[in-house]
Order: sequence, then structure tokens, then C-alpha cells
Amino acid sequence: MTDELRLHIRHHTGFIYEGFAKSSYNEARMTPLSLPTQDVEQTKLTVRPAVPLFTYTDYFGTHVTAFDIGEVHGQLEVESSTTIRSRAAAIEGDLTWSDLATVGFIDRMNEYLLPTRRSTVPADVLADVAPWRNNGELHDVVDHVSAFVRSRVKYVPGATTVTSTAIEALERGQGVCQDITHITLGLLRSLGIPARYVSGYLYPKRDPQIGETIQGQSHAWVEYFAGAWTGIDPTNGVRHTARHILVGRGRDYGDVSPLKGIYHGPKSKGGGVVVEITRLA
Amino acid sequence: MVVHFESDVSGAWNEMFSAPGVARPMYQGLLGDLTSLDMVELGLRAEQLSRTFIDRGVTFAHSGEERPFPLDLVPRIIGALEWDHLSRGIAQRVRALEAFLADVYGAGRIFTDGLMPRSVVTSSPHFCRPAIGVVPPNGVRIAVAGIDLIRDEHGNFCVLEDNIRIPSGVSYVIENRRAMTQTFSSLFSNHRVLPVDSYPAKLLAALVAAAPAKAASPTVVVLSPGVHNAAYFEHVLLARMMGVELVEGRDLVCRANHVYMRTTSGERAVHVIYRRVDDDWLDPLQFRPNSVIGVAGLVNAARAGNVTISNGLGNGVADDKLVYTYVPDFIRYYLGETPMLDNITTYRLEEAEACAEVLAHPEDYVIKPVDGSGGKGIVIGPHASAEELAAIRVAVAASPRNWIAQRPVALSTHPTFVNDKVSPRHIDLRPFAVSDGNDVWVLPGGLTRVALGEGELIVNSSRGGGSKDTWVLSEELVTAPLLTGEVTQAPMDSAPPQQNDEFIGLDEEQQ
Repeated sequence: MTDELRLHIRHHTGFIYEGFAKSSYNEARMTPLSLPTQDVEQTKLTVRPAVPLFTYTDYFGTHVTAFDIGEVHGQLEVESSTTIRSRAAAIEGDLTWSDLATVGFIDRMNEYLLPTRRSTVPADVLADVAPWRNNGELHDVVDHVSAFVRSRVKYVPGATTVTSTAIEALERGQGVCQDITHITLGLLRSLGIPARYVSGYLYPKRDPQIGETIQGQSHAWVEYFAGAWTGIDPTNGVRHTARHILVGRGRDYGDVSPLKGIYHGPKSKGGGVVVEITRLA
Repeated sequence: MVVHFESDVSGAWNEMFSAPGVARPMYQGLLGDLTSLDMVELGLRAEQLSRTFIDRGVTFAHSGEERPFPLDLVPRIIGALEWDHLSRGIAQRVRALEAFLADVYGAGRIFTDGLMPRSVVTSSPHFCRPAIGVVPPNGVRIAVAGIDLIRDEHGNFCVLEDNIRIPSGVSYVIENRRAMTQTFSSLFSNHRVLPVDSYPAKLLAALVAAAPAKAASPTVVVLSPGVHNAAYFEHVLLARMMGVELVEGRDLVCRANHVYMRTTSGERAVHVIYRRVDDDWLDPLQFRPNSVIGVAGLVNAARAGNVTISNGLGNGVADDKLVYTYVPDFIRYYLGETPMLDNITTYRLEEAEACAEVLAHPEDYVIKPVDGSGGKGIVIGPHASAEELAAIRVAVAASPRNWIAQRPVALSTHPTFVNDKVSPRHIDLRPFAVSDGNDVWVLPGGLTRVALGEGELIVNSSRGGGSKDTWVLSEELVTAPLLTGEVTQAPMDSAPPQQNDEFIGLDEEQQ
């Protein structure tokens, strides 16, 4: 596989209301970051109906686009369009288990070590991985945890909803990338390994063809800290690759949801999310 | 029958008497005035006072019921010199808390310098991540503070807690004074009492000073959760006295990061919101999506610099009871000053040694949840049953971060008219500070809350507490040593606190 990919990503979210909506307030977290592993060449976010957009960077460093639509509208469309160059991240960091146990480290990493509502894993499942603590090289243990989660939860699109928790997915034995990520976060944190939720995109084919546009997906994976933040994708059982495009990070899904908003009006009857990714070079 | 003052046998500091029948210097005039009355007349005055309150609608809502907040007719007096010290100590504390908030929502210098673990903040439910990047135009996040003080057995004022989110109670200070001057005007003719009616003007000036720079003639509003809020009376009073609109969430609308008030003559831009709505309910886009008392988009309007939310977002990170233990350090670290007011001796239970000691002897401590309010969850060790002690051991061991332990302190007492007698009752003091970015002004006096039950310690409106008009004298009437460190204690005060003494348990259901 190529070392570097040049990609164009179109992420379209639409709502078609059963009637009309108004007083709609929203925040989109759909703009990829510039990072050592990815250079954003061009990025643009458009909203229809057209309204003023306000951008800021949030606590976790994610680019946020906020907007409100006061007037009545039958549908809402948000589209993010980005051209980006992406490279796989190296596995970095040589911290040991005793480094993770120091008071200063635990204090500094506190919010990536505490369970959240979505990432809380039941005690009996934590007990299964507990023996791995202080046992083996950190990066290897992370791989074991990732494989363990895949053995417990089968990737089944549609098995869970956007509001599902790690506990629900474990009970079901099925879930999507969001659930698998939440479970992995809960387990890594229980071992004392700081871990954060990553929201982004995945180019789905292992061997991308130039010029071909294919349906991608909004994706979630994990970054853990063993001296540097390092990505691992437990859903696919791989490390971070050039096909992973990062948009935002947080403690769990709640900090990075691609579009959150509230409005007055009837519920949405359609629209949905489309992610299209084209390899440019 | 002349007015008789019952003696105090509790071992607590008596605010009025240094020995039975011997009034402290600043109380001598008042004692003379009161003892010239008889009990029947005192009873009549008390009745008159409570009628005044009911007529004016000075009430608080408790369990869905409107009740008057009883005003006791024996005022509490603080001498000029002592007040000078207290008010400077309060202002100092507010300046330090302000600096801490700027640091928490800014560079985090105190963490990198190692004075405080970062996790104290990142584990706090009040650490407001959406507040990162919301910069107060004049640097003020604490426009209004209520700093709760108690006086210990030795006569020292100590800080019990800081309230820098939505401190309430100032309306009682204003109304108490109004009622007392009407009912008992003769008392005021013999004393020079500092006025309290400048509070609304000071608050308005501070709010105007906090407006975004681009607002040439800023519009200020008071945002209330509505008529069902316990402090609704106060919201109405402050809005009226400041001459600004009282609004609820549904009266405001955000558009493209500007905030407008709906009025009968159309929309009007709003620049400063003195909000009496908690963070959690303030903006359904950022916090609870089901809040119907907030204003969607408000946080981003503040982030864009078009409106000021006052008090600031996320102030709660600085007034939980664990952070309280660090405030003297803040004063030294940020201000380079020596704290003028002491904390009550408090132990952080996340520190292993303190935790072990408290787990071994919970009966010796007052144990409080760091995030509790309304006196909820407080265990007063010396009064607790074996079951309560066992339960608190389990709770503390499970999450030490959520608890602190304090040395039991007997609150000072003050003669109070209860059941046709004047008897000692426990009191505390909540002074109010207003900050405009240049100066922290402290309203002379503050709200003295009194526990009306004999020996009762919970000085809280929702627990049947009352209040006292609180006088700060503009000058000392008699040249006398300061109260603090006074050595002429008679038996009444010199008795050591009894094992069965009362302990602090002050708290409010709402700030």
C-alpha cells in the first residue's frame, strides 16, 4: 500500500422534516484537522438554507462550525468537502507500566482515564483483561485488548443506535465502530492506559484506485497514550493507516458527534448521511 | 416585664455578650435601647415586622409553598474596625478566585507549577469545557459572590464556603433593612448604620462594565428560571431596583450569535445577561437538550463576544468544597498576599493519610460531600448513629475525591426573639461582593441567617431558618480592643466547646 494518499472527502448530512422546522441551533464537527499524519489542502463546510457560519476550536482542539436557522425550513443540509493528504502514523512512545502508575501522569491524563457513561464496561468484562496489566509491552497489550473486543462484539451495521452504550453493545454481542471504540476505551482506561475517542473517516478499500469515488463512512477509532498519542482501529483490527482521516477527539462520542443540534418542529423523515471518498493521488 | 436576655450555655461565641449581662462595646447602645422596652412591646414589634414582610411579598418558595422568611427583630452588629478587616478579606478572596478561574479556563499555570493537581478540575462536574474560549470582556467571571462566614468558639471569623455561581439572599438584606427602619426607627437614630440600598446600583454598574466593548449603550437583563424558582422574589426585586427587564428563556432569542429580547414593540438587542439559571439549564445546545428555561445558542453568542453571561460559565469549578481547601494557596500564589480570612480546618480525603484518619475516627469529624448543597449528605460525626458512621465509611472509601472532612466548629450565637423570649440562637453571615473589574465592593453587612430552633444548626431558609438585619457601624461607638483575641472572657464564653455541642451544617439548597 502507498505511503501517502491524496483524498477528497465529501460528507453530506441531510434532514427532510415531516413538515417544517424552525429555531434550529447546530454545531458541526466535520472539518478534518491538520496534523503530522494529515495535511488539509482545502476544506469547506456549507449549510443549506444558507445562514451565517461561526467557527471556533473547542476544548479538545476540534474545529466546530456553529449556525442557527430561525426561519421555517423543510430540510437542512450540511456538507463538508475536504482535500487532504494522509499518511500512516508510526507506533510511538516507550512508556512502561510503572510510568503509567506515577501520580503526576495519572493527574495529567485524568480525563482520559476516567470512565464515561458511554464507555463504562461491566466489572466482569474488565476482570477478563485485568491480568494484562503490568504484563507485557504496552503496545502489544493494546493489540490484545483490541482483539478481545472484536471477539466479544461482532461488527453488525445497524445493530445499535447512536445513543447506545458500551454495556448495551456487550450485552447484544453486536455493534458498530462507535460501540467497539467505546468498549476499547473502557478497557484501556481500566488498565491505566489513557485513551481517547477519535471521530473521522475511513477509506474502505485496502487498495484504493486513483480517480475512483467510493462510498466511505464516518468512522470511530481509538488513540492511546504510551508516550505519544497513537491510533488503533479496533473495529478493523488495524493500526492507524493513511486511510484513516481524523476529524476530532474527545472522551467519548458525546464530545465529537459530527452534527448536534436542537430545533422546533416535526421529526426528520429522511435524508441521512453520505460519505464519498475519492483518491486523487 | 422588662426584656430579659437568656444566657448562653453552649460554649459558642456569643455575639452580643462577653459575659452574662456585659454587652460587647458595639452592642451597648442597642442593649440600652432594647432593655428600655418591655416584652409585650417587643412581641408587638415582631408581629409588625412579619406583617411588613407578608405585605411586601418577601417570601421564599419551599416545597411548592410560598413562605415568609422570618426576620428577627434583634439586629446583628459588626463594628467598623472588624468590618474593615472582613470586607478586605472577602475582596481578597474574590480576587483570588477570579484569578483561579482565569487560569483554569486559560493557561493552567497553577497545575504546571505544581500547586494543585489538574485532576481536581478535570474531575469536577462543574468544569465547563464549552466555557473554554469564552472570554469575559472585562475579565470578570465573578460579578457577584456570596462568601459564607461563621464565627468560631474563639471569636474568629472563618470562611465556610464560597458561592460564586448564583449566590442568592441579597434581597433579604435590602428588605430586612427596609422593614427594620419602618418598624424600629428609634434604634437607627442612636446608631450610625451603613446603608445597604446602594446594592442594585453597584450591581448594575458592574454588569454594564462587563458588557462587550462594542456595545455603546449596553442593555442589561435579569434572566430568571421563572416564578417557581425559590429565589424568584429576588429576581423581581433586583430587576426592578436596577430598572432593567426581568426575562425568562422564552423571552430571548439568539440569531447569528446575537441575543435579542422579544418585547411588545419588537426585538431589542441584549448585551449583558445577569443570569439566575444554572449552567446546566442555560443553553440546550451545549448542556441539557431538554432545558426549556434556557436560551439556545447563548454560549456561542458569548464566545463570539456579543453578549456577556454573568456570573460566568463554569464558575462552579472554583466553589466546590475540595477547591475550597486550596483558596488560601490561591491568595498566596496569584496575589502574593497573606490570607486575611481563615478557612475552617479541612481535610482532603483523596489524600491517603487524611482519609485513613477519618475512616478510623469518623465520629470526630464533620464529613461533607464536595458537591453537596442544602445540607444534603453531611454527616456530623459526633452526633451520628453507628449506622450513619458505617455508611459514611463505605461512601468515603468508595470515592474519597467526593468528600472532605472538617473540624467540628460551634457557630456563634446571637440573642434572638423566639416564643416571646430572647434566647441565644446560632447564626452565620453571608456577605455579598460585587466586582466591576477594577474594584471588589462588599455590601456592608450581608445576610445573617439564624437557626430558630434551640440548639439548631442548619441556618437555612428551607429548614425553617430566619434572618437578622445586619448592621455595620460607620464608627466604633466605644474605644475598645478588637473582638478577635479579646481576653476578657467570662465563664459563659470561656467554657470549652462541649462534646455535645452543635456543629456547622450550614448550607443552602441553592446558592
